[in-house]
Amino acid sequence: MGLTELFGAVFNLDHVGRYIHWGFIQLSVSNAIVIGLMIAIFIAALFLPFPGRRSRREGK
Amino acid sequence: MAKKAFNPDIDAPEYKGKYSPYDIIKEGTIAVVVVALLTVVLAVLFSSPDEKAVTIKSWSNATPMDFAATAMTELDGSSGTATYGPPYNNAATGQQVGPLTLAKWMGINVNVNTANDFVVAPLSTLADQPALTSALTTFASASSSRRANWEANYSKGLSSGSFSNGVLQVAAANAGPLPEMLGALTAMARSGALDQALVTQKGFYTTDYTKPLLFMADGSFLANKAQVQHLSGDQWGMMNETGSYPGQAWLWLYTMWYQVPPFSTSWGANADALVWAFMMLLTLLLALTPWIPGLRSIPRKVKVYRLIWREHYKNM
Repeated sequence: MGLTELFGAVFNLDHVGRYIHWGFIQLSVSNAIVIGLMIAIFIAALFLPFPGRRSRREGK
Repeated sequence: MAKKAFNPDIDAPEYKGKYSPYDIIKEGTIAVVVVALLTVVLAVLFSSPDEKAVTIKSWSNATPMDFAATAMTELDGSSGTATYGPPYNNAATGQQVGPLTLAKWMGINVNVNTANDFVVAPLSTLADQPALTSALTTFASASSSRRANWEANYSKGLSSGSFSNGVLQVAAANAGPLPEMLGALTAMARSGALDQALVTQKGFYTTDYTKPLLFMADGSFLANKAQVQHLSGDQWGMMNETGSYPGQAWLWLYTMWYQVPPFSTSWGANADALVWAFMMLLTLLLALTPWIPGLRSIPRKVKVYRLIWREHYKNM
């Protein structure tokens, strides 16, 4: 196995990306995915219960 | 003395409820471990951008006529760098915000004389080329009006010239020593020697790539590559990365102003300074939020905090 195979990425992203054009907005698909993930994590942080809350309550 | 009225934006009532234990060391350790694991896994899956560096050698080999035409603009002082102003020279006022000439105030701290730094000085490092040495002597001893005449004639020839058999083919009458100089500079660039000459002007060990970058930025090769990769200023380039990698998404607001009028139209020439000033103003507004009536009430009125601490407010 050569070094390239050993250290190469599983997914090769070194090719020109795809872009979303919406009016004057230009957004790469990869940036859109990252922004979507950030929003999803923010919403999850708002609605998911704090870990350990149940055990604390049960311990009261 | 009259008691001060309670202001829900500034004053906080004394908390008289229960307290819960919170282990910040445990939370912090979990966060560091999760981020470290994510970093390793994402690096294995996606690696990082590995775009081959653009050099003057690659530029002049790919598009020798664009290189020669750009070198000509460096020599006659009409290139983007030569006419930019501070911090490179005093050819223009530079970036300004209204009457505030910010770039001029900072001064010329990266002095670039494009004719000498990009053309004459690199050529003078080439040894054992008597024809070139003679051409450089002729150029140096000519009057500025004579040089301008040669430059105008050679520029005219370059626009219809070509490159074949490793040599510039330019039909330019009365161009003085310029065919010899530009021909030698193109050959020097194609060999890779010009890259080295431009980064070693300050000493043997250097990581200062300002001059080769400015030279390349004046041509169209680098700009075309940036355009393909969506890295130009008018393509939200500040938040993009080469290839299909995600970029600096958090710079969306900064780069957005470059896309909208008047920053993209009538203010375009000073957009760098104006966008910076506007962002500083917005940052100041954010920093002063607690003292700005109306703006400081938004978190209280939006009530996201009641969602986060819903268990607490349920029991109140």
